[in-house]
Amino acid sequence: MAISLKNTARLTEVQRYWELLYVLVQRNLKARYRGSLLGVYWSLLNPLIMTGIYTAIFGDVFSPYYGDSLVDYMLAAFTGLSVIHFFSGSTSQALVSVVGNGVLLNKIKLPVSVFPVAMIASNVFQFCVGMFPLLAIVTLVRSHSLLNVLALMLPFISLVLVCTGIGLFVSALFVFFRDLPYFYELVTFVLWFSSPVFYPKDIIPDAIKPFLTLNPLIDIIDSIRDIALDGRVITIWGYGQNLGGPNLIEVFLSLMYGLLFLLMGWLCFRWWRPRFMDLL
Amino acid sequence: MQEVIRLDQVSLWRRTQEEFSYDLKKTVLSVLEGKFNRPKRKLVLDGIDLVIERGDKLGIIGPNGSGKSTLLKVISGILEPTHGTLRVRGNIAPLIELGAGFDVELSVFDNIVMYGVMLGFSRREMQQRAFSILDFAELNDYYLAPVKALSSGMTARLGFAIATDVHPDILILDEVLSVGDESFMRKCQKRLDAFWQDHVTVLVVSHSMDFIRESCNRCIFLSNGSIQAAGDAKDIVDQYLDGIAPP
Repeated sequence: MAISLKNTARLTEVQRYWELLYVLVQRNLKARYRGSLLGVYWSLLNPLIMTGIYTAIFGDVFSPYYGDSLVDYMLAAFTGLSVIHFFSGSTSQALVSVVGNGVLLNKIKLPVSVFPVAMIASNVFQFCVGMFPLLAIVTLVRSHSLLNVLALMLPFISLVLVCTGIGLFVSALFVFFRDLPYFYELVTFVLWFSSPVFYPKDIIPDAIKPFLTLNPLIDIIDSIRDIALDGRVITIWGYGQNLGGPNLIEVFLSLMYGLLFLLMGWLCFRWWRPRFMDLL
Repeated sequence: MQEVIRLDQVSLWRRTQEEFSYDLKKTVLSVLEGKFNRPKRKLVLDGIDLVIERGDKLGIIGPNGSGKSTLLKVISGILEPTHGTLRVRGNIAPLIELGAGFDVELSVFDNIVMYGVMLGFSRREMQQRAFSILDFAELNDYYLAPVKALSSGMTARLGFAIATDVHPDILILDEVLSVGDESFMRKCQKRLDAFWQDHVTVLVVSHSMDFIRESCNRCIFLSNGSIQAAGDAKDIVDQYLDGIAPP
């Protein structure tokens, strides 16, 4: 047990955490883009090119599921890819963040969780300046409703919660198991293929469907597609059972899912935290 | 005198690093085979009782691997004691292996701010202090250059300048007393002397017995994780040197 009595007017723990988060996010972004403002937009390149490839290869086959519209298929693939890309990028960067700063943690007393959280936060910033404006434009063109643009933020918040939870979990696990990146690559791959990113949901066999509910990204992708692409204005209850449409219930459920992931990730992190230092 | 650090029966068990090849695959297999053993642990600090008062200059001596640096890490709050209690009053500035926290890709200025924030200061305060730090390190011309462009001596100077620009209540020195060329070493010495004159509490780990004898008023002699002897610095150093002197 350690009791620290403070008698000087220094930063509180919360202020310190915030300041640390700020400088670490700044460091991550500067390291990634070497000060070039356009640098952030390189992160758009990957999902845009993938969207192009999927549309070129699968567009004709799958467009009947999207009202025979190639554009609709393309937009569905793009929204799905934006979610998957954010998820795999942010969590795999968070995975190595605690071990990567092990030397530092052995020199100065720091709140360890700030490292994975800063990785997620850097990706949030990148998403907000790169991907989000694109999604917002698509939403505005489709639905002519600012309400939908605002609502678009909610499933994204769920995504950030899920990623933070998983990021905390894997960064802690990596301290103990250094071969985790190989396994995790497999996990993100499975999540990617089990999310209906480039194929329509309707082609999944009924026997498989229950398993897919375990994937936290599906609800988020569904919500974003409903809000951005459906064209109808978001309501609380949607447009009736068979009509679907963007609704807050779906969004609310994904938020709950996100909170659950965050809580589980945080608890694991807290639980394992005392044993980190022996292995860093 | 006011006590600033108090350790009561502090013990620390750590995992031994010898089975550092833990991977998920092996662990899962060994659990399945029923061969999973709990990782081995070693007693690194054993029932340390220590009271340090304000203004004390405490030297910590002992052979390699006796737990000197570990004790400093426990006092700085980096490691949590397994048993026993630790009380610390005031802020601690660790001065362990300078420059370990630098990001070599970032500019000198950004590194100063980041390092300061890690030591517990706000960004705004560090931005104001940055120029006095650069002044001291004699790196004014380099403040936009990435740290990787500095020579190793310059990097160490920067680390020293940041860590000592902080005005701590408790300063921790782990074998880093002066860096850089001759003229800079003198500057370092002056700054450290100022700390000595002030009522700053200083904890020093050193293998330089002359330094401990001259600069510290108290000393503890650690061996195998427990305090073998404690008291006046001169007596303890003599006792330690007698113990290892060839017969």
